[in-house]
Amino acid sequence: MIWLFEDHTIRTVMLGSALVGGISGGLGCFAYLNRQSLVGDVIAHSSLLGIVVAFLAGGTFGLPDGLSLWLLMIGAAVAGLLAALLTQFVTHRTRLPKDAALGVMLAIFFGSGLTLLRWLQRRSPPLPGVAGLDDYLFGMAAATTSRDVLITAALGLPMVILAVFAWNRLKIVTLDAGFASGLGVRVAVWEVVIQIVLVVSIVIGLQIVGVILMIALLITPAAAARQWTKHMGPMTVLAAAIGGSCAVLGAVISSLGVHLPTGPVIVLLLAAVFLASVLFAPRRGLLTFGSDA
Amino acid sequence: MTYEQWSLVISIVTAVACALSGCLLLVNRHAMVSEGISHAVLPGMAIAFYFWRDYESVWLISAAVVCGLVLVWLSSWLSQSGRVQPDAALGIVFSTMFSAGVVFVSLMLRNTHFHADCIIDGNLALASVRQLRLGGIDLGPSAFYSMLACLLALLLWLIVPYKELKLSLLDRHLAERFRLKPRLLLFVSLTLICLTVVVSFRIAGSVLIVAMMIAPPAAAWFLSRHFSQFLTLAVAVAVLSSVTGFYASRRMNIAPTGPIAAASGFAFLLALLFAPGVGLLTTAIRRRRQMGDLRTCLTLSRIRRCEGPFELDSVEDPGERSSLERSLVRCDQAGLLSRTSDGRFELTEPGLVVISQLEAQFQL
Repeated sequence: MIWLFEDHTIRTVMLGSALVGGISGGLGCFAYLNRQSLVGDVIAHSSLLGIVVAFLAGGTFGLPDGLSLWLLMIGAAVAGLLAALLTQFVTHRTRLPKDAALGVMLAIFFGSGLTLLRWLQRRSPPLPGVAGLDDYLFGMAAATTSRDVLITAALGLPMVILAVFAWNRLKIVTLDAGFASGLGVRVAVWEVVIQIVLVVSIVIGLQIVGVILMIALLITPAAAARQWTKHMGPMTVLAAAIGGSCAVLGAVISSLGVHLPTGPVIVLLLAAVFLASVLFAPRRGLLTFGSDA
Repeated sequence: MTYEQWSLVISIVTAVACALSGCLLLVNRHAMVSEGISHAVLPGMAIAFYFWRDYESVWLISAAVVCGLVLVWLSSWLSQSGRVQPDAALGIVFSTMFSAGVVFVSLMLRNTHFHADCIIDGNLALASVRQLRLGGIDLGPSAFYSMLACLLALLLWLIVPYKELKLSLLDRHLAERFRLKPRLLLFVSLTLICLTVVVSFRIAGSVLIVAMMIAPPAAAWFLSRHFSQFLTLAVAVAVLSSVTGFYASRRMNIAPTGPIAAASGFAFLLALLFAPGVGLLTTAIRRRRQMGDLRTCLTLSRIRRCEGPFELDSVEDPGERSSLERSLVRCDQAGLLSRTSDGRFELTEPGLVVISQLEAQFQL
């Protein structure tokens, strides 16, 4: 196993996945507890449109490679945030059920994103780097470079710091918005902050897990961690640990050359942890339930 | 018919079937279940395809339908056990099943056309190639007939137990009191929805089925007041957006799924903005007009209250005076007022008629 740590590529991949899994898994607790799991799914899918548009813009203005990756991330974040806020707007302003609003956002954002992506791929001569866009669908951890790790850290760590420093506010708005507004917390502002935290934690995972399965990295660790503890602090730490370790393991398995896309492998590992938690967690587990209550 | 016409017809039939099953889900407030089902059928399809190598085998379709039902059962069981939030339960189960399917496809079916692209966009071109032959006569693509059979089954299910279905979708508890077995009706509806997903999977791909299922009914939601109207309008939106999307895709030379989904999404946006009565823009315009009418009404009634012509300088508050002045000028231009020689205001004949109308309207 030691050779795994000596190989530079694999070390980068492991570091990148650990960061992504830890940050997305930990911050996913906000989505999970706020009943926004499917919003996370829609944000992830919608970011495809932002990625493709940003790619197109980067190609048009001839940006250098390093900048264009930043541009993709920002594009993804903007599109995801737009979809999330538009969903909120439609559910608040009309009588359409939230579920339906989410489905429609998928139609608008993922539909146009996929249309643009396929159109770009059909263009001849092909734009440089257009082949790499396909990786955003299912994720490709093996392609992680140290620059990707840097970008992940630069985007994700501020969110972690924000979550640590604004912990009480974020927690109370997530768990009981009505109580929070009674205490004088400006709920509307903090809900937007939570959306931004969510969007960033989704966007940084796209390269490794892909838009289609990002929801699992966001909420499965949280749902698994929830079985073991009643408190939000320990839950977040545990979710980060579960997300990080499964992401590393999945990335290594898929990088070992068996041509497996990374996202699905990570999701299956997470599902195993989740299943074990639901069955065997002390007090709440379905099999251990009642044995000591 | 030519190959292109067949493709268009298949797209339309698929969009209509998807929209009708989406209506069932939307009214039930379970729209995102379609997202789950469309992902969850993949492992069933992949495993059955590995054994039978045939998209249209009954085994493949039933294996996939069973997978869809397993998703619904498993996620509702998980959320009812109280361990997991309901929408998270759905997300976890469908992402796991979909991942299992993708891993199976990339390990066992790597060299078939059942690969990732087909999973995402579907493959209309491939679906319209295989012809159905009966007694030596070419009847057109077999995908058309399987889709049509699915659509007819859906229509039959919507028409025959129409009022029972409507009641159990709109008010489950009342339906239970009438002994209509809403759970059985829901089960059959879900089976038909899974069937629609499976049959359209090959044509439309997994991710965008949800778009084709939800966007047309969501657009119709704003335009309709009755269940039958809702169904009809959803079908109309589906037909329109599939035709638009299909021709757009031909122009761009890509698979039609993405454009069709995007077109139905934009149809929703149009309905959201312009739907009569409830659209955001129509409401805003109506509010604005009502505000104007109310202001006119208050201004005119103020003038009527005065004994003799109204003098603007008699208003002391400067803010009130300036807003009143603007309103007076507008009324003057509309001919509801007339100015006396010393610059004071009087109501005209039409002004008297208008104010009585407005007072009746606002019940003042």
